[in-house]
Amino acid sequence: MASQDRLSAALIRAITVAPAPQPATPLLRVDGLSVSYGRQDVVHDVGFELGRGKSIALIGESGSGKSTIARAVLRLLPNGAAASGTVQFEGQNLLALPERRFRPLRGRQIGFVPQDPGNALNPVRTIGAQAMEAAALTDEPNAAVRKALILETFAQVGLDNPQRVFDSYPHQLSGGMLQRVLIGLAVLPRPALLVADEPTSALDVTIQKRILDLLSRLQQNLDISLLLITHDLAIAAERTDGLVVLKNGSVQEAGPTSAVFSSPASAYARKLHADVPALNPDRYAKLRDPRLRQHESGQAPKIEVSAVTKTFAVDGKVLTAVDDVSFTVPAGTTHALVGESGSGKTTTIRLLLGLDEPDSGQISVAGERVSGRSQQSLRSIWRHLQLVYQNPFTSLDPTWTVESLVREPLDRFRIGTPTERSEQVREALANVGLGEQLLIRKPGALSGGQRQRVAIARSLVLKPDVVVLDEPTSALDVSVQADIVEVLLTLQARLGLTYIFVSHDLALVRQLAHTVSVMRRGSVVEQGSVADIFENPQHAYTASLLESIPSGISATRPLVQPKQRRLSRQEQIA
Amino acid sequence: MNNAYLTYAAKRLGQAVVVILLAYVFTFVVVSILPGDPITSVLRNPQNGFSEEEIAEIIAAQGLDKPIIVQLWHSLSGFLVGDLGMSMRSNRPVSTLIAEVLPSTLILASVGLAVAMILAMLVAYGTRFVPKRYGQGLLRGFPSLFLSVPNFVIGLVLIHLFGFQLGLFRVINPDSFWATLFAAIALGIPISAQIAEVLIANLDKEAEQEYATVARSRGLGQARLFARHLLKPASLPVVTVIALTIGELLGGSLITETVFGRTGIGSLVQRSVSTQDLPVLQAIVSLGAVVFVLVNLIADLLYPLLDPRVKILGGQKRRPTTADETSIGPSKAVTP
Repeated sequence: MASQDRLSAALIRAITVAPAPQPATPLLRVDGLSVSYGRQDVVHDVGFELGRGKSIALIGESGSGKSTIARAVLRLLPNGAAASGTVQFEGQNLLALPERRFRPLRGRQIGFVPQDPGNALNPVRTIGAQAMEAAALTDEPNAAVRKALILETFAQVGLDNPQRVFDSYPHQLSGGMLQRVLIGLAVLPRPALLVADEPTSALDVTIQKRILDLLSRLQQNLDISLLLITHDLAIAAERTDGLVVLKNGSVQEAGPTSAVFSSPASAYARKLHADVPALNPDRYAKLRDPRLRQHESGQAPKIEVSAVTKTFAVDGKVLTAVDDVSFTVPAGTTHALVGESGSGKTTTIRLLLGLDEPDSGQISVAGERVSGRSQQSLRSIWRHLQLVYQNPFTSLDPTWTVESLVREPLDRFRIGTPTERSEQVREALANVGLGEQLLIRKPGALSGGQRQRVAIARSLVLKPDVVVLDEPTSALDVSVQADIVEVLLTLQARLGLTYIFVSHDLALVRQLAHTVSVMRRGSVVEQGSVADIFENPQHAYTASLLESIPSGISATRPLVQPKQRRLSRQEQIA
Repeated sequence: MNNAYLTYAAKRLGQAVVVILLAYVFTFVVVSILPGDPITSVLRNPQNGFSEEEIAEIIAAQGLDKPIIVQLWHSLSGFLVGDLGMSMRSNRPVSTLIAEVLPSTLILASVGLAVAMILAMLVAYGTRFVPKRYGQGLLRGFPSLFLSVPNFVIGLVLIHLFGFQLGLFRVINPDSFWATLFAAIALGIPISAQIAEVLIANLDKEAEQEYATVARSRGLGQARLFARHLLKPASLPVVTVIALTIGELLGGSLITETVFGRTGIGSLVQRSVSTQDLPVLQAIVSLGAVVFVLVNLIADLLYPLLDPRVKILGGQKRRPTTADETSIGPSKAVTP
């Protein structure tokens, strides 16, 4: 290699990663990478470097091309995608290698941790059968030893009963366990590079933290380089040495994490920073706080849930989904229901909406009882009580236009004349900041943020008093989430709406809710005002939820002292 | 094998028995309300030379003067103990007539099914491994081509090519190995099209799943990916399709037998229809129902064993979806 190249490589490295003594060639060096699907360019001229044992994050919203870059490095681009430029791995250009020479690198040298653990394992084969594929990459000739190696790795990634996991089918394990399995399988052959594509975005917050801790620990103990793809700046800042900020397929800014994070140079990186709820707890304080005063003036609560219990019979066993839950919500405020999957949040709002009947206890909205009503009289309640569903990609009928979607509730409840209805549709769309030119579009032609605005407009068109928001932003990017939250809070301030906000994201709850109930296994473990709960949590579970909010400060790094040599297997387990 | 599965199996078996009985009753009723009375027309045929007394005697002996409900009862109770009655033409037990021709049809149908499955597998395999420029598109067109050609046409072409031109088999000896094989091919080709269509579509769908990408990231090549990952999940819906094609397989064997000049259920049906031999027809239709119901019963009982995701709840099989935990829709996971 010409000395000129080495010099420029060193210069690039000095910019992109923290200065540390390391071998002359970086492990991974991407140069001028462009990827297109047919005529559509999704990545333009992207370059970055990752040193041995280092970590780097590609950060950006969906459509920024970050996953496409990861897949180009892994050579897992879908059919019809064309990549140009170079991806140098240990000095050889991966894009130019014939498949026959690249395959030996797969798994052995380059490991992959996918985004959605629920779909990343073959559903009709046992975990063990698939783990044996990963173990085969170690070149260990003895099958019994290979299996022992798998069980060892499972224990290492924090799976309690490795043999049971080995014998299970994927659907028998939780998302968090599956992601541990996948991380285990990726690190088992001891690759030099691990590519993790949003490894935690499909998981609950507390599990998210544990999985990220695991990744950081393995990366440092096993001396693996980590290429982390994420849309969450706070996560990236906590856990990586370098940051590459992407937008529309181009690099906006790159450099050592501490530098990019503390003083972002590009406008886009600054916006990204401002949109992360964990980093800006008081962003919406002005919009939210006047409501709080009103609620202290002591009027009757808008929503009253008292001692509600709901059980289900599953496989002959009785499962208590909601156990003696009570809360009240003053008019014009936001009450958050917080907890992990299975904590009873969803059942609680199903009861609140009258979709299920509680076994005992009472629910009333605006003084009217919800429970024990006929289907017909429930309809009259639904006029005042609307739901915004979590996933705007599945909640809107793709064959309808925006106008018919927003208009449907008016037609169903026969409100006003047809001309008045059209007027109300326009008004509802204007309320959520959508123009009239969208009226004739179908959901497929809208972005995720626009779709969720349509869903909100649809629920507001009946002029309800109470809106139940079921994780309304969990399927959206951080920056889109910030827009939606702003819309919701502006509407609340203007129309005096009462919100029930279901979420597992505590940072978001801290930004927008007034009061909160923390739920766990069907019961409320703690409730009160957001300020009290967040500043002085009484219950250990609340405290653990709060700890899982990424701070963006890499106080937790390094979790383990970086090792100078690769540990032997025995040491890693100890 | 747990308790829930046994309950499910017992329930499905009970349903199967009910369906078979209903099919029998339905055939019986349809046959008896058909216009024209073949029995009396046979008896009154002057060539047979029965006197009025003899006719009355025969009718009384056969129970034909009784109300239809009583006749049904006799017929049904006979059916339940395996007594299918007597043929009106040959005066031999119907069960003997069927037993004579059944093996030939069973051989044809099972070889035909085997041919269909092998052919479908080869075509589906080809769509994954033959590169686009070497005619993968042609292979993908096979199912719709095969579906649109009736099997008697295929049969005639095969007889002409391999029987007359190449002389692999003699048309006058239809039970020889080669003749049976080519009859089975004629029968199997249209059925293979249906299986291949489902298999190809499901292989394409499975290949796009995230788990296939992740398996490739573990260094699996196309061949192993196909054999270890894609084939099993893609084959699961095929079980149902095969069970549904059984009806076609039986109907197709009747035509194929005629084209290839084989003696089988087909020729028996042909004879019985032209001579209005009702007990034989009734028995064959009921037999068809029994085979169809049994095959579908087997498919249903097999499914929960093949697909670990299928859960049996309250005697119903269902596949849990990930949406169950979070969806706001009617809670499906709960059995009333």
